[in-house]
Amino acid sequence: MNSTVMKKTLYLFALPALVFYLLFWIFPIGKLFQYSVTDFNGYAQTFNYIGFDNFRDLFQGGTLGNSIRNTLIYTVVSVVAGNLIGLGLALLLNMNIRGKGFYRSISYIPTLFSAIVVGFIWSYVYMPDSGMIAAFLTKLGIPSDNLNFLGSYSTALYSIIFVEIWKNVGTTMIIFLAGLQTVPNDLLEAGRIDGCGPFKLLRYVKLPLLATSITINTTLSLINGLKAFDFPFIMTNGGPGTSTNTLIYSIYKMAFTEQMFGKASALGIISFLIIIVITAVAVLLMNRKEVSA
Amino acid sequence: MKTRTKKRTGTLVLAMLLAVLAGCGSNNGANNDVNNGANSGGENASASAPTSSTPDSGKKVTLTMMVSGTKAPDGQDFALDIMPKLVQEKFPNVTLETSKLPDEQYFTSIRTKLASGKGPDIFWVFPRNASLGVLDMAKAGYAADLSDLTFWDKISQGAKDDMSYEGKPYGIAGGLDYLGVYYNKELFTQAGITEMPQDWPAFLEACQKLKDAGITPISLADKDPWFLQFGMYQIAANEVYPDEMDFDTKLQAGEKSLTDPKWVDTISKMKELYDKGFVIKNSLGLGSAQAAQQFVDGKAAMIFDGTWDYATMTAKGAAEFTRGFFSLPANEPGQPTYVSAATAAGFALNAKSENLDIAKQVMNYLFDGQSDLFKAWTESNSSISVYEGVPLNHELFKEVNDSYLNEGKSVYFPNQMWPTGVAEEMEAKFAEIIGGRKTTPEQVTAAMDAKFKELWKQ
Repeated sequence: MNSTVMKKTLYLFALPALVFYLLFWIFPIGKLFQYSVTDFNGYAQTFNYIGFDNFRDLFQGGTLGNSIRNTLIYTVVSVVAGNLIGLGLALLLNMNIRGKGFYRSISYIPTLFSAIVVGFIWSYVYMPDSGMIAAFLTKLGIPSDNLNFLGSYSTALYSIIFVEIWKNVGTTMIIFLAGLQTVPNDLLEAGRIDGCGPFKLLRYVKLPLLATSITINTTLSLINGLKAFDFPFIMTNGGPGTSTNTLIYSIYKMAFTEQMFGKASALGIISFLIIIVITAVAVLLMNRKEVSA
Repeated sequence: MKTRTKKRTGTLVLAMLLAVLAGCGSNNGANNDVNNGANSGGENASASAPTSSTPDSGKKVTLTMMVSGTKAPDGQDFALDIMPKLVQEKFPNVTLETSKLPDEQYFTSIRTKLASGKGPDIFWVFPRNASLGVLDMAKAGYAADLSDLTFWDKISQGAKDDMSYEGKPYGIAGGLDYLGVYYNKELFTQAGITEMPQDWPAFLEACQKLKDAGITPISLADKDPWFLQFGMYQIAANEVYPDEMDFDTKLQAGEKSLTDPKWVDTISKMKELYDKGFVIKNSLGLGSAQAAQQFVDGKAAMIFDGTWDYATMTAKGAAEFTRGFFSLPANEPGQPTYVSAATAAGFALNAKSENLDIAKQVMNYLFDGQSDLFKAWTESNSSISVYEGVPLNHELFKEVNDSYLNEGKSVYFPNQMWPTGVAEEMEAKFAEIIGGRKTTPEQVTAAMDAKFKELWKQ
């Protein structure tokens, strides 16, 4: 009897948090849906309801397709390359080598900087002629005249993806490293007795047991990639042209430069759906592959 | 119980102490005011009149002000340091809290503040239809009608018009800005350019001479997309407008379109500079600071920029040289060169502010033409003054300024008549040309026109 009373009162304790959650999280999201069917410009108090015109314009215009393509490239490359590099680093740093604590710290340091700092530093690394890479190549006697990482259509997107990976590989590595240390020694020994080489041990023992870490890492970098904004914003302004416009960057530009809050809200909703669908599918697929030790 | 009483007494004592201190503070303020009034009275009889009429002298008021720009690199910044101090001296009961943000952040932040009803009392608006333009701000009811300020007869008519909505002023122009070409006189001589180019073929020829002499003719910062406007609008001034000054009015009425051959020619001329290799290589990888560095280091002979960047362009670099400034002669031979000139951004007052009257008094004081505040303002202002009797601030701009004043051949910056977003579309599309894609000038104008039609709702 007593416990039900307790339960009811306990709900009251959740109330303040719930109110805040509804007010500052759910309500603004509701507003987003409202604005997506208006021509709200972001500051004037009067606006008109224009039905689904915003969505229609988006599907007809080139921005949506271009941003989705850039975002998907960004995501796929950063998920695949980021996880492979992270796994490789974790395997290396899991070996018994001298000074492994030092190496582990070194590879985690980039994660500790904010994206603004990293983006700023890297735009100087990439700078044509006098940037770090160009200067280094010149020292080696390799001509670096046409080196223009951020200013060329073919390389700009991949150059910022590289920075994204460089910054996040620390986190990925730490999670894999933790996963590797939970691999029981007896399983590894049993594998060796059965005649497994290092590669077979990795393929048939370590990787299946790392499935949880792989799920976590993939999901994290998937979400990270799909909502990529910082590096295009800091390093390229979405340029050259629109070649590094990601979904979120396009929303920002539409809302704050072009003053089309309504249309930007509509794009926000579309991105929201895309991100949810992709993440859900990925998580479901990977959950099936997990095994327990 | 006892401790509680003790605590209470303690609080009481503290509160009294604070009250006493506060009293001292306000007394000091009043003394200052008296001293000030006496001083200015001695110097100038008319200056003491507004002092005595300062109202609400008892009531403390905090005015907030937000402007855009970057803090002055050395010493005191006008908006951040000088203005609050001088306003406090003049109006002891008024505390002016100021903040200054770079353009982009300012645009975002001020719109949010205004929309949520928390706008500052004094803020910074841009002429006509530019981003955060005075027309938008007046129409949305955020900027106050400033017709009753006292100094309008001292401000040039053009500057007043550019800050007006339906015939009434809603902003006070900070001055006048020119777009032009900063150039390195020594490098020009070195390349054998004896005569300043007066038309487009001559300009191309000069660029060719520089290039042949192994000097990069023009430094541009295409990594910052907006930089493109500095060249483009100077060409448009000579290409689109000379025989059709009302082009943009027709455009807004739907009688003209941005796909007009004149705009195609404008884009083509800009493209020509890139095609012929006159623009610094890899310009898409250079930001504005880096492009300016190329110029002040003497590595590039010219840079397209505006009068507001005087300090950056005259900064000390790796090379010592004499600077010059001219309007880009994008005109055909035999035609006059049009100057690209536009009213600069300036102050607006928040129509919804409780302190609108006091803000107006502060503005009247700032623009009274003789106060210390006015002098500090004219000294720190990088734009060319539109206030009667204020001399030209930098000798470097004399030639262009004279031509503007004497011949009156000038065109505003086109984006002031476009909705925000059209210039950005032009930049994004033109970047494809710079990046070596097969985009044609026609495609650029088509994209601009599509964006214009999407955004222009009147």
